[in-house]
Amino acid sequence: MLVLRPVELADLPRLQKLARESLVGVTSLPDDSERLREKILDSCASFEKDVEGHGPENYFFVLEDPATQHLVGCSEILATAGYGEPFYSLRNRHFTSASRELNIEHGVPALSLCHDLSGHTLLRGFHIDAARVRTAHSELLSRARLLFIVAHPGRFSATVITEIVGYSSDDGHSPFWDAVGKHFFDLPYVEAERLCGLQSRTFLAELMPQYPIYVPMLPQAAQDCIGSIHPDGQEAFDILEREGFETNSYIDLFDGGPTLHARTSGIRSIAHSQCGLTQPGPVNDARGSYLVSNESLKDYRAIVADLDYIAGQPVTLDAAMCTALKVTEGSPVRLIAL
Amino acid sequence: MIVRPVQITDLSALFTLVRQASPGLTSLPADEERLAYRIRWAQRTFAGQVDRADADYLFVLEDDEQQVVGVSALTGGIGLREPWYNYRVGLTVSACADLGIQRQIPTLFLSNELTGQSEVCSLYLRPDQRLGSNGRLLSLGRLLFVAEFTQLFGNRLIAELRGSTDERGGSPFWDSLGRHFFKMDFSHADHLSGLGNKSFIAELMPRQPLYTCLLTEQAQAVIGKPHPNTEPALKILSAEGFAHNGHIDIFDGGPVIEAPVSGIRTVCDSRPLQLAIGSPDANDPLWLIHNRRLENCRITCVPARLAGSSLVVDRLTAKRLQLQPGDSVRAVPLLNQRHQAAAA
Repeated sequence: MLVLRPVELADLPRLQKLARESLVGVTSLPDDSERLREKILDSCASFEKDVEGHGPENYFFVLEDPATQHLVGCSEILATAGYGEPFYSLRNRHFTSASRELNIEHGVPALSLCHDLSGHTLLRGFHIDAARVRTAHSELLSRARLLFIVAHPGRFSATVITEIVGYSSDDGHSPFWDAVGKHFFDLPYVEAERLCGLQSRTFLAELMPQYPIYVPMLPQAAQDCIGSIHPDGQEAFDILEREGFETNSYIDLFDGGPTLHARTSGIRSIAHSQCGLTQPGPVNDARGSYLVSNESLKDYRAIVADLDYIAGQPVTLDAAMCTALKVTEGSPVRLIAL
Repeated sequence: MIVRPVQITDLSALFTLVRQASPGLTSLPADEERLAYRIRWAQRTFAGQVDRADADYLFVLEDDEQQVVGVSALTGGIGLREPWYNYRVGLTVSACADLGIQRQIPTLFLSNELTGQSEVCSLYLRPDQRLGSNGRLLSLGRLLFVAEFTQLFGNRLIAELRGSTDERGGSPFWDSLGRHFFKMDFSHADHLSGLGNKSFIAELMPRQPLYTCLLTEQAQAVIGKPHPNTEPALKILSAEGFAHNGHIDIFDGGPVIEAPVSGIRTVCDSRPLQLAIGSPDANDPLWLIHNRRLENCRITCVPARLAGSSLVVDRLTAKRLQLQPGDSVRAVPLLNQRHQAAAA
């Protein structure tokens, strides 16, 4: 049984292995042990911290097979995008070209650098072992974050966003980057993404195009990248789209990938998840698959389980489930149908 | 050959001339009604009846048989009625010392900087007359006119040179930039521009600066590059001190060349002299001579001999200038004397 839990320092070597396999563009997961170590410590401190509102905290989760101690995936929640340093996006809006005298009026889409998404809670760093893509466990890895948010609403913003990795070719070329970013950064796409994962993104500020980029002026291949998703990012997109997330007019600065957003209270797993009290015992007549989490903070756990659950009744969990979730009789748990 | 203000009686001759020229002379559309309007307006301009903002000095070149063989123009002040737009080619530096990144990106800034300056424009010389000093007379005559009447003009003179086109006659600059905001092809926009709709068109352009690295390579290559046809005009004006100062046309990317009036060779070197009748020989240097009149302006180019503060010309020249011996003229050697010295 795979368990989602907060990352621990002991996970470092295994996490680095995972980072090495992760997709370019998942910039929050750098293949650099020092940087990863910092990330882990930062996450540990976030889970420990008493907060009054959402701040710079970053909650880093791993998906582990306790039997083998293998890590098969990871995901993160940044409580506040753009808290300590600016959070950049490109806003895709129409510039209206109008002349009454010539009887012409039309819109020309233009990309402008902005900080509009600052202040929202950001889901990021979603990465799962290739063998588990499109399984219940990838749902768990993504959506357990939403159950965590609903269990600790004071720690998060009223809006949740996520950036989906945009298109790049198998040999690591992003047509969007080649047409836009490369001119300003003088770096290959992969290198730029690597630097972003490695160090503060603030260095970007000095290099950013400050004036709008008019979309029709870009090569067709770059235009086609706007809002398009890397095949390996499709699942992350699909899961959250089913949760009620929607695309908007913001795209990623580097690869043109789409941004998803949702009102926190309207997200399906948040709005429709239910609470119940743990009742240890055998699950005799499992009628449905659920994502189940405890309500803890630093001992947060979430699993996939087949249950015989009736709304309003205690939640029967077998011994292995109770162990995985670190719950005992009467502990509150939260669940949502898979 | 004489340069003089256009008259309404020149209409049919001018119309014939302009029809030969088009396309390629957008500021002089081959439309008889519009041409008649422009001639009347020019007549009022030379009569001192219009503001500098509206002044349009339209000259014709007339041969010794009173045939109109060329045309050129000078405006009082651009952009004083409706905005005058150019791009200024500036620079954006994208740099990060830590990463060793230093990118210099030429950037186009929409600008009204040339507002109030005066423009030399609309020059066309009949192909069979493109010989001797005719081209210089038609072009530089305007500068001598400015030298005489500096108060009627801005501090700087500018000329917009047609930009480079591709083999089909299209503009790579337009195709990469303007087209996206107008949804019309270059020749149509150019036509509207010639009809005086230039500022309307400019209003469709984005106000924000544009990074040239986002234009096509073909478009980047023609920024500030004049069309080969403009080379003679460019050569003449460059020798007068005109230079490209970073302004380009917003439609085709052609260069705007400019010069401070006080720095123009014809203006600086010209001086008032007394006209004398004599018989200069063909070896005497060519002089550009203006009769110092506004409405009855006459400018010619002939061999002349400097004698003290007198300029000796033949009798026919005096007649063509509508002057008597002893009258004052403004004159300047046609060619830069330093160049002449070098040639000798």
